[in-house]
Amino acid sequence: MRPILTIVLNDLRIFLSQRGNLVGLLVIPVLLTVVIGWSLGQFVGGGQARLRVDLIDLDATGMSARLIDELRATNGALVLCPLDNDADDYCSLDGEALDLNRAIERARAGGTEALIVVPAGYAAALENFQRASIDYYSMSDPLQPDAVLQSLEAVLQRVNGASMTAGVAGALLDNVTTGLDLPAFDESVRKEFLGALYRNAEQKLIEMPAPVSFETGEEEAGGDASDNGFNQSAPGMGSLYVMFTVLGGMAVLLRERRQWTLQRLMALPLSRAQILGSKIVVYFVLGMIQYMIVFAVGGVAGMDFGDDPLALLAVMAAFVLCITALTFALAPWIRSEGQARGFVLLLSLSLAPLGGAWWPLEIVPDFMRTLGHLSPVAWAMDGFQDLIWYSGGFGDVLPEIGVLLAAAAVLFVVGVRGFRYG
Amino acid sequence: METIVDAQNLRKTYRRSDGPDIEAVKGVDLSIRRGEIFSLLGPNGAGKTTTISMISGLVSPTEGDAVIGGHSITKQPMAAKRLMGFVPQEIALYPELSARQNLLFFGRMYGLGGRKLSRRVDDLLAFLELHERRNDRIDTFSGGMKRRVNIAAGLLHKPQLIYMDEPTVGIDPQSRRRILDTVKQLRDEDGMTVLYTTHLMEEAQELSDRVGIMDHGEIIAMGTHAELTQQVGEEDRLEFTVSGGVADGAPARIQREVAGVTRVLYDAPEQAGAESVEPAAARLTVFARHGRTALPPIIQVLDSAGLVIQSVAVREPDLEAVFLALTGRELRD
Repeated sequence: MRPILTIVLNDLRIFLSQRGNLVGLLVIPVLLTVVIGWSLGQFVGGGQARLRVDLIDLDATGMSARLIDELRATNGALVLCPLDNDADDYCSLDGEALDLNRAIERARAGGTEALIVVPAGYAAALENFQRASIDYYSMSDPLQPDAVLQSLEAVLQRVNGASMTAGVAGALLDNVTTGLDLPAFDESVRKEFLGALYRNAEQKLIEMPAPVSFETGEEEAGGDASDNGFNQSAPGMGSLYVMFTVLGGMAVLLRERRQWTLQRLMALPLSRAQILGSKIVVYFVLGMIQYMIVFAVGGVAGMDFGDDPLALLAVMAAFVLCITALTFALAPWIRSEGQARGFVLLLSLSLAPLGGAWWPLEIVPDFMRTLGHLSPVAWAMDGFQDLIWYSGGFGDVLPEIGVLLAAAAVLFVVGVRGFRYG
Repeated sequence: METIVDAQNLRKTYRRSDGPDIEAVKGVDLSIRRGEIFSLLGPNGAGKTTTISMISGLVSPTEGDAVIGGHSITKQPMAAKRLMGFVPQEIALYPELSARQNLLFFGRMYGLGGRKLSRRVDDLLAFLELHERRNDRIDTFSGGMKRRVNIAAGLLHKPQLIYMDEPTVGIDPQSRRRILDTVKQLRDEDGMTVLYTTHLMEEAQELSDRVGIMDHGEIIAMGTHAELTQQVGEEDRLEFTVSGGVADGAPARIQREVAGVTRVLYDAPEQAGAESVEPAAARLTVFARHGRTALPPIIQVLDSAGLVIQSVAVREPDLEAVFLALTGRELRD
């Protein structure tokens, strides 16, 4: 055991004494993880979402003001322009007034998510217990869900529900009075009664849970784990750079053979298994160091490590072992350091994206997802997603670990049988 | 005297898929005595390195075995390797590490450690006059300095037997001298057995207690310097470089007319290019019992044959002569 440890420490010392290796192990992976993590965070929802919506209130009554308030309450992401414009001119109004024509042009040009027009007579319609209508303009895909439209519909459902309640009650009152031949109500009494009914119904509807509500917030406020781009970038970039680092072992073995240090080791009282085993341990350790560096960066950036750190370590170890085995399976076929470098680039840059290291496999077509699982990266990423995104446990990632270890076992057999000492 | 290496019928055949098999070593028998310097002498490609690699356990023999200090290298390789130090022809060191770091690493691999190892490394660096550069990286060393550290790495555990495979290749005369003195010191002061391979006759002659001459994968002669030179008798060797065309009849005339001449070898000149204005040179080697006496009549014969003598050298019996006598070729060929 001591000779193996001595070789491992010596090889690690040599590896870490090379500035180029430190750049490959530390600087580039950290930079890429940060850049991609930050970019993905912006893409998948880092920061609070805001939807710019123009709103023209042609009614300008208390009723329409209440509609607007309810709209804001239903969906906190809505920025109703020009009412909610801020000092940074989020509404992009450039200090000019927003009239209907300009608002329509903005919606048509995609400058806003939508335009909501509260027509004149909106309040009158409600007061007469008639159905109130709102004009809605948007260029969004009619086949896709529209958050602004859904918010508006939720509010209108409540408003029209209260109006409808009062309207139906008024009609019922009139029918009963006429059917029983009773004297007609005084108009002011009738209006006061129905008004009270309307407010009561509206209050009840407000107290009821909204049929559609939209919550947005920062990650710290309890957002989805997928919102943090580092939850994708750290495992992805980690896996990519584990491949760069560990597969580089193909060239190092070749170099040791060329500089005769491998042969000198063979002349020592060591078994071949000890020599090969120590080289395997070296690259396994380097792979784990690489993962630790990248995940540490993710940790600083607030990535989620899931609920089972041991399972996370197990997925990492299984993947590193698999790539180490791949390195030693390919090493006997390598004839030059240039060829080895080519192989490292080819394998890393094909297996990583194929396996979902650069983007989640959920966003690719089914056949690509199936094809992607030819890459060990896909199995590692599945494991990481189970643990990080869905807070899974050891049991959830056993299949992924099993596949990676099985592949490692097969590749090790190939590597050991083909390894050339001389 | 006790035998430390006993190799029997060592044979190595390299199988090739794209051509005929290569028989690098064809059944070598070798016996090396404890405390002697034994040299394997032969031209490049003679099979010296393959032989030494089989004895040191680096290459598995196709047939045969070598017993090192009572341990078979094929059956008990660990025990056999513990007795040996190995100095390969190549600089087998980590260029990124310092001389000291390299030696500490290889020392630990031999099971040494702590102050004992540290002292041993410092002693060896001082012995090889490298103490001042001990903390410098190997890749900043000259060829000769690298060679000395390469030797030190094989001496760390004070082995009973050390293999040195052409340890003076590609270095300056001063470094070479230092290495040769070191090899002699190892035998004389530490009682080590040295198995030394070289293609340089002078090295084998200076260092060795006994020499095995190898050619084409076989040991063609083995013994002390005196024993080997006796095989070619007490003849001197006269080497001529001549020009002036093909020496038709001259070799035969020298052998017939000059007293004491036993043999004449004639290397015809290589075909000169069409554009060459210089006459091609030929080599003539004459074996004679009294070389200096035979020289004037030989020169007369060459003159009368119209040949122009460009150079003459008279050599006393040496290993080169043995090799030439046995193979008809010079060691440098």
